Amino acid sequence: MVVPLNTWVLISNFKLAYNLLRRPDGTFNRHLAEFLDRKVPANATPVDGVFSFDVFINRSTSLLSRIYRPAHGEEPQINIADLEKPVTAEVVPVIIFFHGGSFAHSSANSTIYDTLCRRLVGICKAVVVSVNYRRAPENRYPCAYDDGWAALNWVNSRTWLQSKDSKVHIYLAGDSSGGNIVHHVALQAVESNIEVLGNILLNPMFGGEERTESEKRFDGKYFVTIRDRDWYWRAFLPEGEDRDHPACNPFGPKGKILEGIKFPKSLVVVAGLDLIQDWQLDYVKGLEKAGQKVKLLYLEKATIGFYLLPNNNHFYTVMDEISAFVDSNC
Amino acid sequence: MSLYSSCTSAASSAGSSVSSTTKTSEIDCLLAGAGYRVRSSDLRHVAQRLERLDAAMVNSPAEVSQLASDVVHYNPSDIASWVDSLLSEFNQTASLPSDLPELPELVVGPVLNQTVLAEDAWTDHDAPQHQQLNNQFPVMTAMEEDSGIRLVHVLLTCAESVQRGDLAFAGSLIEDMQSLLARVNTSCGIGKVAGYFIDALSLRIFTPQGVGFGGGVGLDAAYENEVLYHHFYEACPYLKFAHFTANQAILEAFDGHDCVHVVDFNLMHGLQWPALIQALALRPGGPPALRLTGIGPPSPDGRDSLREVGLRLSELARSVNVLFSFRGVAASRLEDVKPWMLQVRPKEAVAVNSIMQLHRLLGSEPSRNSPMEMVLGWIRNLNPKIMTVIEQEANHNQPGFLDRFTEALYYYSTMFDSLEACTLQPEKALAEIYIQREICNVVCCEGSARVERHEPLAKWRVRLGQAGFRPLHLGSNAFKQASMLLTLFSAEGYCVEEKEGCLTLGWHSRPLIAASAWEALALPDANSPATAPGIFVNPHSNPPVNSL
Repeated sequence: MVVPLNTWVLISNFKLAYNLLRRPDGTFNRHLAEFLDRKVPANATPVDGVFSFDVFINRSTSLLSRIYRPAHGEEPQINIADLEKPVTAEVVPVIIFFHGGSFAHSSANSTIYDTLCRRLVGICKAVVVSVNYRRAPENRYPCAYDDGWAALNWVNSRTWLQSKDSKVHIYLAGDSSGGNIVHHVALQAVESNIEVLGNILLNPMFGGEERTESEKRFDGKYFVTIRDRDWYWRAFLPEGEDRDHPACNPFGPKGKILEGIKFPKSLVVVAGLDLIQDWQLDYVKGLEKAGQKVKLLYLEKATIGFYLLPNNNHFYTVMDEISAFVDSNC
Repeated sequence: MSLYSSCTSAASSAGSSVSSTTKTSEIDCLLAGAGYRVRSSDLRHVAQRLERLDAAMVNSPAEVSQLASDVVHYNPSDIASWVDSLLSEFNQTASLPSDLPELPELVVGPVLNQTVLAEDAWTDHDAPQHQQLNNQFPVMTAMEEDSGIRLVHVLLTCAESVQRGDLAFAGSLIEDMQSLLARVNTSCGIGKVAGYFIDALSLRIFTPQGVGFGGGVGLDAAYENEVLYHHFYEACPYLKFAHFTANQAILEAFDGHDCVHVVDFNLMHGLQWPALIQALALRPGGPPALRLTGIGPPSPDGRDSLREVGLRLSELARSVNVLFSFRGVAASRLEDVKPWMLQVRPKEAVAVNSIMQLHRLLGSEPSRNSPMEMVLGWIRNLNPKIMTVIEQEANHNQPGFLDRFTEALYYYSTMFDSLEACTLQPEKALAEIYIQREICNVVCCEGSARVERHEPLAKWRVRLGQAGFRPLHLGSNAFKQASMLLTLFSAEGYCVEEKEGCLTLGWHSRPLIAASAWEALALPDANSPATAPGIFVNPHSNPPVNSL
């Protein structure tokens, strides 16, 4: 069981800060949260071959996304008119990314997620669209899903993101609550006939009323407690709903039937020291039972957040898997 | 404990420079990439203190909510000091190494080859932080219109020809741009501001050099500028944010002092001061005696506008029982002000307040006895308790015209975008003219006529550090109040961000204005070695004063 010291410091710091932000009455100290969150601006000057810029997906709801693109050639500076220059490769994957934070924390411009998205551009030779979705408790279900859906439609209708076959090659990816959003947006895509080529779920946030073995075993052991998980679900789900609501428990008693529908193939990464792993594993089983294509990557000794710093083997394993997953279709 | 390597290095917020003083410990570069600064050698110690804080929080849940609501947090990038400040709230002794808990088994020390990684990744991280000086793009609407894209292309081509000196070609492009402008959505974003930039380029191309625009030349211009300034103040929150944040810091710095003196580098209508006067009036233990010295341009036609402002503020002070005296110092340029004009008295606590004034001192080339050095020198000699510095967060002082033009295009397009939300007229229209004058100055003027020489916070940190100042951190209380101030505005796009003890106000994710506070390092005496800049301790050992 090993966690590098700097990762431990990072995740513990988050844990303690987050403890200060969740109030017992269910409200959230948003000002302090924004003060403490480390952010980074977009940068149209390529850094390590990646540049970024922010766009409005929807001006009227102030829905922003940060777009990350690979830089080609030796341009020291990207011209503003070239930000949305059409992609040139035969096939360009476009990854719509939903950051984590248990629906309440972080933003598309949080430093940790900016770093992660830049890496995804590199390993997948993709354009990454990181969605700044509305967060709980101020904005409950289904706001985050609605924003994800708006982003999917926006991406799908950008001519400059089309590959040579005049289609946008879309993948959905996310960690924690972002992974949860991936599932629900993909579901909506299927129902509306928009093709999503694959789902990538990193430590996705699922749950249910039942207390599973892993929850009991790992409660409080590796940065996360059942209590905080409950708090975030209460903050996100509609008032009065319990954790068997399909948003939380997609294969639970109120879940949708996935048999027979053309759901995207999924890559699900589960950390062996994550207390909600039983729910994540149930999700994988649910997909399998419904005849959907899913690959489980179970990392026995990984804790939450292992993918935030490139200092452990799990990190590189996952990046390789993601790269292969996005590549295999192209 | 020194927490920064010498802040005299350029640009970086991740401490990418190699310090000129001997420093054996580097910042953990992976945490730096996540936005945090922890020295590699400190990691274990910080981890233990995090563990300790966790235990303390578990044992006293009631204190946790107090930590969240009442305690002021500072500079969260510095995890070590953040954790320590929270631990001190639990009344635990600050450092008892023997008491520190063992880290859980699951933690290992730094991965062996991490130091090697650190060397390489060090330079990698150097680049991104350095690049933050340039090219912070505005948030854009998708530019579907070909005309919009073409317009920008032509604008930049035109600016590039101007830089090359090919004014004939540049001139020919002006017409093209005007016809393109007719086909573009001019209600927001690039389209809106393009017109102003086309005009500015026109002026530069077709008018002889040396004519000052927007530089406040002439006395009438100064009066006009005051009017425009006032409308800019009303139309959008940038100046209010500046005043609000500066006042909060000044209020805290004046805590415990009975005689205080504020030096305002640009009095205008004195809009900043009623709030401070009222806050001082409400201070527990009673208000101090307040002196205000307001600097401003000489008034036209015999009016003494400085004195008029002073009188109004005096009346207000009297009405709330604050002992107040005012002095106006008329000067067309900040560098014409001499410290003796301010008549600072020995026992008073001095606050120097500079709202978008310092950049005007930046000549085109650094030289000995530059106005900046001179002014910063005498400020330091005043030994102020605090100097509040608010500046535009932009790089409009680059030597290359095209770079400057490009940066200004994005900066002002973002600012105009934010103004769209304002519905007050004529405030909005006049605010736009105010901004237009700034644009003109950046684009059309050169030499001493170009006064709008904005530079980003990172550069100011270096400059002020070198001049013998150290940062006073603005904390979560100032952040929260600034955020709440913004909710008074209907526009949802304004955002306050904290960056290593400074606050920025921006539109969506682009910071436009940065507020910072400084104090003068003790002047070295003949016998002691010069104090290295950048070393500081948490100055806020007193509980903060009630906020405004």
